[in-house]
Amino acid sequence: MEDYRLRKTKQKFGAFWGNFGLPLIFIIMFAIFAISTPSFRSTYNFLNNLSFSSYVGIAAIGMTFVIMTGNFDISIGSMLSLVAVLGSSFIPKIGGAVGIISALLIACILGFLNGIFVTKLRIPAFITTLGMLFVFRALAFIYTNNVPVYISDRFWLYFGNGKLFDVIPFPILLMGVCYGAAYLLLRRSPVGRYIIAVGTNPRAAALSGINVDNIKILVFTLLGLFVGISAVTNSANLGSANPGLMGQDFEFQVITAVVLGGTALSGGNGSLGGSFIAALIVTFLNNGMGLMQVNSYWQMVATGLVMIFAVSLNKLKFFLLGQGEF
Amino acid sequence: MVKFLKLYEKIGIFILIVFAGIFLAIASPNFLKTDTILNIITQGTYGVIVGFGMVLAITSGGFDLSVDAVVGLTSVFLSLLIPNIGIPSAIILSILISCFVGFLNGLIITKFGVNPLITTLSMATIIRGASLLIAKGRQIPISVEKFTVIGTGKLMGVPNPIWIMLVLFILFFLLLNQTPYGRHICAIGSNESAARVSGLNVTFVKIMVYVLVSFTASINGVIRTSQAMIGIPSMAPGFTLLVITITILGGTSLSGGKGNLIGAVFAGIFISMIYYGLNLIGVQYFYQLLSVGLVLLFALFVDGLRKRYLEAAKIKGIKV
Repeated sequence: MEDYRLRKTKQKFGAFWGNFGLPLIFIIMFAIFAISTPSFRSTYNFLNNLSFSSYVGIAAIGMTFVIMTGNFDISIGSMLSLVAVLGSSFIPKIGGAVGIISALLIACILGFLNGIFVTKLRIPAFITTLGMLFVFRALAFIYTNNVPVYISDRFWLYFGNGKLFDVIPFPILLMGVCYGAAYLLLRRSPVGRYIIAVGTNPRAAALSGINVDNIKILVFTLLGLFVGISAVTNSANLGSANPGLMGQDFEFQVITAVVLGGTALSGGNGSLGGSFIAALIVTFLNNGMGLMQVNSYWQMVATGLVMIFAVSLNKLKFFLLGQGEF
Repeated sequence: MVKFLKLYEKIGIFILIVFAGIFLAIASPNFLKTDTILNIITQGTYGVIVGFGMVLAITSGGFDLSVDAVVGLTSVFLSLLIPNIGIPSAIILSILISCFVGFLNGLIITKFGVNPLITTLSMATIIRGASLLIAKGRQIPISVEKFTVIGTGKLMGVPNPIWIMLVLFILFFLLLNQTPYGRHICAIGSNESAARVSGLNVTFVKIMVYVLVSFTASINGVIRTSQAMIGIPSMAPGFTLLVITITILGGTSLSGGKGNLIGAVFAGIFISMIYYGLNLIGVQYFYQLLSVGLVLLFALFVDGLRKRYLEAAKIKGIKV
């Protein structure tokens, strides 16, 4: 009896933690920064942070899908740099609007390539994208000869600095649209169910007639698209595309966000809302530490610790729900 | 065909080296000199030494992405400790500290059940940050002249790093093939739950694997620091990819259970030959990144084809 009650309490706490743990962490963190640092409190800083978090946030959508299918992509930082460099260098010839479209197309192709390598050659996604990480970055260097591309096109720049009604930064709006579309895709369309099925049990999915390879390729291509959007907004915000500096540690932040958001690395179900809040946590944590004038080396240490801590917490949740050993 | 594939798995990298050697001998008159060849092999030892550790990690079904950070950590500690406590104890202490990082990796992976990729990726960031903090973001020069012997000295005409590599090769070869511990690593890599059920201490074996990876990484840190005579917290960026490339190119199976140490040696020399060739053409550093990435993808491509063929052969009933 006692044992039963203990188990019930554990389960209740596990469910509570699963639903409200992340928002709680975010609120506590926000409160600490808001109390300790006056400059953190302003609306301007808040909107700015939200706008910064869109780079990680948008790419995290694609990464959530990829991790849900049991895969992984660590090439996105280099991909971001390559896409930004290529797209912005086209501007003088074809203009900003077509430039953005071509940048997104290139991003889709790069993602598609990753998908082909992973599915058709059955190379583990991690290793494929590790190779691609270097290939993309090297191509970005070679293409630009390590000279940043400056962006002066107004349409392109609007994507990073534009403000709707002079208040809401455009990237925030874009992030909202992306999350809305991703939600519809994941929860209201057959494709979403296929993604979950492939991640939960690829064999069963294949036997029930789902083309597993195509779903995986689609997921990688989608990740490419979202990274492309992040590349445009990020380069627009900076006003230039730097082949070496752009996307440094980007994959790390995005994966941290997705894993922190509660998507299990073993595949299966994932949480878009969790990824979103976790993206906010990662960005606000960096910004808050920056405003508190924490040494940037300590920031590195903190980010790594948060990551390990977060994954352990997820384990704790599953353990409490009785779904696995600790 | 199956026989050919088996043979390729064993000596494929050797064929690549022969081809690259013939090509380089034609392209450059300096290639076939003892000095050049020793130089190329010495360059290759960097990746190979850490490759030995990585072979163990991948064979056990794990991974370690924190090796480049450990190299930096060792370098920083060496530069701080040598003026204070002398060379031998400084080296031993730095290596011990690095081994402790490996111990932490293993502990988090086995006890908290965190994925090895995530653990070591996070650990890499933490260690990089910590090394930068300890060194206060500076590079610390070492003024004790004797220390340079380890990386640049020669014994019987052969550079010391090659000797170190040979000694480590023998140790790791014996460890993997002649001891129960080595068999346990393979068993865990092939089927972890079976290994657990049959009574192996999986936790201990895995923790030791990560300690050994960090150990090799820190040996590499000692060699590099002694050559540069300066402690650099951000030493060896992108080194992890090179090590993994060498390991996989050397024929260690990514699915675990099968390690190939000799392959790793040849793979390291092959990559070093590519670098030499690229230097001959006089291209920029970026092309080295590109070539390592492409070689890795090519090796994986061939590996994938091989797996597909063997699977198809199994279905057809050919004995593999």
